[in-house]
Amino acid sequence: MKKTLKNDLRPLLAVLLLFYAAAAFAHAETGVAGGLVSGLLHPVLGFDHLVAMVAVGLWGAQLGKPAIWVLPITFPVVMAIGALAGVAGLPLPFVEFGIAGSALVLGVMVALCLRPPFWAAAAMVGLFALFHGHAHGAEVPSAVNPLAYGVGFVTATGLLHLAGILIGVLLRWPAGDKVVRACGVAVAAVGLLALTLTFVPA
Amino acid sequence: MRILTVVYTLIALALLLSFPEPASAHLVSTRFGELYSGLIHPLTALQHLVPWLGLGLLGGLLGNRTSRWVLLTFPLSAGAGALLAGGLPATAAIDHVNLFSFIVLGLLVALSVRLNRPTFLGLTVIFGLSHGFANGTPDLSGVPLLLYAVGVLLAAYVLIAIATAVTQLVSQRAAWGTIAIRAAGSWIVAIGLVFGGYSLTAGV
Repeated sequence: MKKTLKNDLRPLLAVLLLFYAAAAFAHAETGVAGGLVSGLLHPVLGFDHLVAMVAVGLWGAQLGKPAIWVLPITFPVVMAIGALAGVAGLPLPFVEFGIAGSALVLGVMVALCLRPPFWAAAAMVGLFALFHGHAHGAEVPSAVNPLAYGVGFVTATGLLHLAGILIGVLLRWPAGDKVVRACGVAVAAVGLLALTLTFVPA
Repeated sequence: MRILTVVYTLIALALLLSFPEPASAHLVSTRFGELYSGLIHPLTALQHLVPWLGLGLLGGLLGNRTSRWVLLTFPLSAGAGALLAGGLPATAAIDHVNLFSFIVLGLLVALSVRLNRPTFLGLTVIFGLSHGFANGTPDLSGVPLLLYAVGVLLAAYVLIAIATAVTQLVSQRAAWGTIAIRAAGSWIVAIGLVFGGYSLTAGV
């Protein structure tokens, strides 16, 4: 065999693989890592989900108090109620339409910096939370570990809101306001694209 | 003569060291093994970890004087619960109480409810006993069960101590701290609702 670094490394790799034994926890809960990863990725891999959640944070930042702090506290709970319907297998009509539509509407709100009364904004975001929650919840029964999956998608959604709120810090500067509104345009564009795709037969 | 003795001793020692005991006869799986099992079990099971964090967040929000007491009440009741599980049959009611703990603790954090000390400590004892019981196992008896319960107690102490300390630090030092902690509470409610709904509909 030709003496190469690659060949030299093979036995080392084999020995290292031997050390990489699976953790031998005699534990009741299995699939935590898999469930957690799939839960964390679920809101991120759907692009319309992702931008809509960031837009919620952006809009909260634009609306200021009390929306900026009511939103991250109430959204997860309302989303969980939508998820419960998904878990129970209750159908929610036009879920994909609702998710894509939420990205479009929230994007427009941010792009135009619209400020409806607080209750109207809360009701709108709450309605969207139900759609997003339903889509995540419908996957719970088939998750490798439903609890870990739940922890994952709630955490990912919260972190996406946080991302929006952090981008919203730019609002302190006049140029930052334009950046945030440009983000709104991008979100609306993704929403429009996703909405169009819901009408295209698979 | 003395030198030879030293050499023979060293050779004997080297031979002994070259025949190590197999890893199965290791400290972790004998003697103190159950201590580590008790320590690891609640920290690797999300159905305990998440509400325990919730309890730590709540204690931290309630301030120093109250959170000091939770360091005593919660670990002791969790340890006692694990001991009780060794002698009592398992019941689904305990799992329901534990599911309920997600919602109750998460809501109290999310709404930042200023509980008085007796009520808060009462909750810590109830949830300590129920979570400790769910951690326990009737397979162990005698000394291993006691070691296991001490492991659960230590896990509860470490987790609650860290969670309350971090919560106090964040909520008192940062302007956004309390909001962040309350948002984390709402995540716990959401997780509890989803998992509770799944557990009840799937009959887990």
